[in-house]
Amino acid sequence: MDFPIVEFPWFGNGNIVALIAIIHVLISHGVAIGATAIVVSTEYYAMQTKNAKLDQLAKQLTKWIVIITTTVGAMTGVGIWLSTMVIQPDSIGSLLRIFFWAWVTEWVIFIGEVVLLLIYYYTWEKWKKGKEKQKHLNIGITLAVFSWLTMAIITGILAAKLTPGRWVETLSFWNAFFNPTYLPSLAFRTFLAVTLAISLFTIFVRLFVKDKDVRLPLFRIFSIWGAISLPATFIFGIWYLKSIPEQAAKLIVWSTGLPEQTFNVLNLIAFALIVVFLIWLVIRPKKLPAVLALAMFISAIGFIGEFEVVRESIRKPYIIYNYMYVNGITAAKAEAMNRDGYLAHSTIAKVKTITEENKIEAGREIYEGQCLACHTIDGWRSKRALANRLQGWPQKSIEAFIPSMHQVRPMMPPFVGTKEEVEALAAYLYKVVNEQN
Amino acid sequence: MHILQLAIPPDFPLPIPGNLSLLEFLIVLTFILHIVFVNFTLSFATGAVALEGAGIVKKSKRLDDMARICSFHASIHKSIAVVLGVAPLLIVSVIYTQYFYTSTLLIGKAWISIIVLLITAFLLLYVYKFSWEKWENKKGLHFFVGLVASAILLFIPLIFIVNIVSMLYPEKWSSANGFFHSLFYYPQIWQRYAHFVLASLAAGGFYMYFYFAWKQKKQPLSDVEQSLKMGGVKVTFWITLLQLLFGSLLLISFRRDIVLLFMGDDLLLTVLLLVSILLTIVLCGLLYIVTKKDTQNVFYASVICFVLIVALMGWMRHEVRESYLQPYMDEHPRTLDVQKENVQPIK
Ligand code: HEC
Repeated sequence: MDFPIVEFPWFGNGNIVALIAIIHVLISHGVAIGATAIVVSTEYYAMQTKNAKLDQLAKQLTKWIVIITTTVGAMTGVGIWLSTMVIQPDSIGSLLRIFFWAWVTEWVIFIGEVVLLLIYYYTWEKWKKGKEKQKHLNIGITLAVFSWLTMAIITGILAAKLTPGRWVETLSFWNAFFNPTYLPSLAFRTFLAVTLAISLFTIFVRLFVKDKDVRLPLFRIFSIWGAISLPATFIFGIWYLKSIPEQAAKLIVWSTGLPEQTFNVLNLIAFALIVVFLIWLVIRPKKLPAVLALAMFISAIGFIGEFEVVRESIRKPYIIYNYMYVNGITAAKAEAMNRDGYLAHSTIAKVKTITEENKIEAGREIYEGQCLACHTIDGWRSKRALANRLQGWPQKSIEAFIPSMHQVRPMMPPFVGTKEEVEALAAYLYKVVNEQN
Repeated sequence: MHILQLAIPPDFPLPIPGNLSLLEFLIVLTFILHIVFVNFTLSFATGAVALEGAGIVKKSKRLDDMARICSFHASIHKSIAVVLGVAPLLIVSVIYTQYFYTSTLLIGKAWISIIVLLITAFLLLYVYKFSWEKWENKKGLHFFVGLVASAILLFIPLIFIVNIVSMLYPEKWSSANGFFHSLFYYPQIWQRYAHFVLASLAAGGFYMYFYFAWKQKKQPLSDVEQSLKMGGVKVTFWITLLQLLFGSLLLISFRRDIVLLFMGDDLLLTVLLLVSILLTIVLCGLLYIVTKKDTQNVFYASVICFVLIVALMGWMRHEVRESYLQPYMDEHPRTLDVQKENVQPIK
């Protein structure tokens, strides 16, 4: 516990980051990457078929890409970082030390992406004919490559949190970046982005694009892309699942908070839905029901929410696998803390030696440092609210539970600290739990 | 407090990724680029609202047209400002981790609120820009949207200023109590804020002069554009004169030994300060000439002056931080080489 603690008692600290991340993934994957690829291919198709109206629609879509990505997209991207600084300072701080130059590169490419996007949109009318149109299209292709590159970089960092691979031994940047799940995860995300774009945009096309000369060719483009991206998402998704650590894979169903049956049924329905949707798009694009498009839209958002929550959650008890626990404790720290005490090695702890008088205060500090990352006292997620989980437990049982908590629940990190600290934590928890109930 | 000790944490065991001097150079460079665009955004947004308000009161179409041009420029520069802000923020958190993370977490909720504030302000700025004609008959509402966006934009810098000022005062951390308390708790906050807001107005005015002088080379300016150009010069002239006062106020708000560094204790800092004051006076002179006789040479000279002043300010700002933190950094060293014994896998 080296930095001041910021607590979101009701919402839960982890949920803040998750909320911003979900919005960001929807926009960065679905809009910036997936939709760009589709828009550029639409422009190409319009050029080939000399369909001026379709060309204009591609331009319209680009305008929305500009507005969404430069406001909510860009700000939630920065926002994930700003919020993790507050909520997981040890983790993001360490990742920055490892991946600094990757982030710098990411930043440069992102600037390139924004510039290309603006050029692409604002030269649409200017570069309209013959060779110029080809030039415009080339800008679009470059843009699509750039937006994919930003993902190719950030995926290295994200994947390393789950599978840092040989990095933990070698501490080499390249080992961390090209880690065991890098390729599967990049391949999966690439096609997921396209599938996502189709699922998100169809409903708007269905509702607002009335002209059949435009809607039908656009749906055709969607279905061609979908025919590639859906099986690819599925296959690479399985590859990704196979390459994550066994301990993590076991936590997938649990992470969603659903019973296994419901989880399986829901995911099967979603999968069946998208297959039906795509087949419909190919066979009867004229009569695509708006309800089906809407169902796709909603399940796409649901899926991304699930994916993000699961991806963050299966890493438990680690924040950087095999290196740092969710509460910022590393092997080296744990060793020192078990020897000299957790509080003794916590920069901001006010209590350093525990006495009868400051016991509760000490317990509170330990709770904030070691448990708050995942738990609340009485937040809305009742499974994580200790007032709920510890209701009716005698103080002695809490005391007995703490040293073995990582064995009882493998998603929890081991407690670190001395015997007195266990007692202080138990005394504090017993007190607040009984005050709540 | 049981034991009075500084809450400066040990640095992470993973090393700072790169040559420190290079990173310091980059942080100064990228911060200058970032802050200049922030300056532009802030002055055009507030300038647009002020001009529109004046236009409503005086029933002047001309002022309204001027306001509209300002709002257009605000919305372009805001995106650049945010994007350019990422680099200095990356570097500050990597090379001053022990101070910057603590100061950020001390105002954690205000810090996270930046996300919501910025998205809101940006969307409002879009509305403000795009509804200029549509809401011709709802001037009050239109003005209000601009006002709210500007108010948010004026508020956000306070969060950043509290953060980077508080990181300089580890001995004050233990009694700090959140963002609003910190606003009045740490020294230099309001001096910095005043210096920054004035700099924004001056930079915005200068931009107008620069932009239209450049445009004038290709085509004659309209009446409204000419007013913006000369108005910009006047604003920059008067504000820059004021800055001589407010800059001095900021300087004397520093800790005594830091002030003395600028007053002869440190040769480099003293020279930097003197040169920047000199250049400021020269710039004012040049701008004064522009109001009388507007020539190409004066234009180029003033641009050079302006760039140099901004560069010097950015450099001095960095040196101030280094001087403040020096004593702490000696006590709590940064990790420059990997501490292998502290980076062990958990098995
Ligand atoms: C990495 C996140 C994480 C951290 C850190 C963490 N926990 Fe947990 N804890 C969990 C999860 C997940 C569960 C199980 C929730 C469920 O059953 O779905 C849990 C369950 C519990 C339970 C209920 C156990 C039971 O068998 O009913 C208790 C009590 C508990 N934690 C106490 C603590 C204490 C005390 C700390 C701090 C020393 C702590 N936890 C730290 C994630 C964490």
